[in-house]
Amino acid sequence: MKKAAFWTEERRAYLILVLPAVIIYWAVMAFPTIFSFILSLTNYNGGPVFGNPDIKIVGFTHYVKMFNDKYFWISLKNNGLIMAVSLFGQIPLGFLFAYVLHRKLIKFGDFFQTIIYLPAVISTIVIGRLWQSFFSPYGPFTEFMRRFNPTWENELFFDPNLAILPVLFVILWMYTGTYLIIFLANLQKIDPALIEAARIDGATEWQVLTKITLPALSGVIVTTAILAISGSLKSFDLLFAMTGGNPARRTSVLALYMYDNAFRGAPKYPLANAISVFMVLLSLVLIVLVRITESRFGGREE
Amino acid sequence: MFKRSTVFLVTLLLIASVFVPATFAQERVTITVLNYFDLTSPGAERELQEVWHEFSNRFPHITVLREDLFLEPFHQKTEAYAAANQLPDVIYMWPGGRSTTLHTKRLVKDLRPLLGEDAKYFSEAVLAPQTAGYLAELPNTMTSSHAMYVNVGLLQELGLEIPETYEDLVAMVPVLKANGLDTILMGAQDDWVIQSCLFSTIVGRLVGDEKMDEIIAGEAKFTDPEFVGALEFYGRLFADGVLHRKIMNTTYGEVNGLFAAGRAPFMIDGDWKVGNFITDTSTGEALIPVDKQDQFKMIIFPAIPGEINPNAASTVVGTGYGMSASIPAGSAKEAAAWELIKWLQSVEVQKLRLETGGTIPSRIDVTSDQLEPLVNERLGYYALIETGTYVLDSVLAGEVYLPINIGLQEIGLGLATPMEVAERTQEAYDVWKANQ
Repeated sequence: MKKAAFWTEERRAYLILVLPAVIIYWAVMAFPTIFSFILSLTNYNGGPVFGNPDIKIVGFTHYVKMFNDKYFWISLKNNGLIMAVSLFGQIPLGFLFAYVLHRKLIKFGDFFQTIIYLPAVISTIVIGRLWQSFFSPYGPFTEFMRRFNPTWENELFFDPNLAILPVLFVILWMYTGTYLIIFLANLQKIDPALIEAARIDGATEWQVLTKITLPALSGVIVTTAILAISGSLKSFDLLFAMTGGNPARRTSVLALYMYDNAFRGAPKYPLANAISVFMVLLSLVLIVLVRITESRFGGREE
Repeated sequence: MFKRSTVFLVTLLLIASVFVPATFAQERVTITVLNYFDLTSPGAERELQEVWHEFSNRFPHITVLREDLFLEPFHQKTEAYAAANQLPDVIYMWPGGRSTTLHTKRLVKDLRPLLGEDAKYFSEAVLAPQTAGYLAELPNTMTSSHAMYVNVGLLQELGLEIPETYEDLVAMVPVLKANGLDTILMGAQDDWVIQSCLFSTIVGRLVGDEKMDEIIAGEAKFTDPEFVGALEFYGRLFADGVLHRKIMNTTYGEVNGLFAAGRAPFMIDGDWKVGNFITDTSTGEALIPVDKQDQFKMIIFPAIPGEINPNAASTVVGTGYGMSASIPAGSAKEAAAWELIKWLQSVEVQKLRLETGGTIPSRIDVTSDQLEPLVNERLGYYALIETGTYVLDSVLAGEVYLPINIGLQEIGLGLATPMEVAERTQEAYDVWKANQ
């Protein structure tokens, strides 16, 4: 009996198609993550990595240091707030705008679509600088408020409890357009005949939305939620340009906190690696939670 | 005989024409440079033409691959290069502070042996050993990280005079407030600014370098009354309305326009800020035009109650360029890199920096007759400084000055007390010391 060849044409084709992506993924994603985890357990603080006799394993010391640092918790809280704005602000607003535009509930839909999406095509650094100037104590926002109250002082950035608010507003303004486009594209995939039939059967707009549209888009909502979570955790550029994490690190986020430890003052690379590993783990946990929520409560896409 | 000698001579010339240029031709060398460069500064265009392009003209055998960065991206790149052990051949450096890694890990060479006899052209003070005890960078200047800029014209309009004591300054606050003005502007969103440009001088006045030496040596503590007293005085600036919390939401670049526009009669910054106000030769424009510059003065912060060093201001040798320690000694690359470093501190370049930024030359053989009034004001400012004291981030390790930087913002915002900041700094110092 002739033994079947292992390297069939199908297997070879599969390998050729998949291997480049696997290699690239391992090289730029998986390997750095694992390597970062290993470095976070050592005392490595610059210089040659391989064959360096001074590198020693120090266990979870840097994780303990991280959890004992108040600036870590401030950064984590700010990441939480950004995530909340993304999940409960950008996504619902993006969906709402997309629904209104798709169902042609307002005039000049193309104009509004362009306006809402516009911030997404501007450089984040430019946006950061622009809004920083806007909210500056000497900026247009202060001038505008002083028209109503000449003695008004712009406390937004230096009240530790409010300092993050302008940043949250800008994040909402900046990324809602991206979700609008995602939802709009997917709304167009829903068969219009289905909605038309529902309306003929007497369904209200609310019923169309909750019984047809939302269940059909639950998968997309999960995708956007994952995008929002990962985007929130890697927030850096906007904060860096707008506040630099200050005043007194009160607008810092985990990525900035990691940057501070790696590059500001004396480098603390093991601690910075520990922070980045924590960010990856947190991201994974949150994405799994979103998946579980979707499988329990989500509808099915047609 | 004539024929034979002619043939011999011609042959000799032919041989010489073929071999001599090859013998004396300099080896082509490529060097990499990490340069700190503010492209928006008024002198940027001239610097590109007269420093970098001119070097290429003068030394055609040296190819310079230059990377220009400014502020935080520069420091980030430096640390990344240092961590990877891939430092560029020539690198812009501070005598301490954010360049501490380069010094303490000895990633750059000691330039004193290379300087040799040329040391006589430099003021001895600027060639003093730096953070790691050697000349890691060849400084372009001696600089004061503290200067109080005064808009004298604005003060006169309000019937006020330049304050001599802190009490005089406090007395001005209500008058200025009634006129919708701030008292002192600072672009202190970045946390190094308060420490470097103001608090170091307060420490110099109230604590003094001798006590600081004891603290640095571990013989005294940051929690001692003198240092805590300096922090308390700094906190008082906010309580008295001399400083406003909004300085921490004002960027380092934004403050220039605000001061030039007369939003406050005073601004505190380093003496280098002069360069941002004078005329940009490429456009002919200036934040403070030449005809208005005589209305601006530079003074030291007024007398502080209980100070032990009157008229002291924090000073430090300036920035300069260092050479990567990985370049082999005696190599063509070392010669090329040194040629560039020498050029960057040459008479021509220091004269240009004096004219475009008011940088006081570290060389003793540089003068210029094309100085704007503000540059002359900067030159005169040094005569006011009776004692030059430490800039904290040039004498303390990064781990130790960082809690001070953040703590100063926290004191200003009412988020920490002076004692809490002192304790945190001492804690950071103890950890740092234990790791030495």
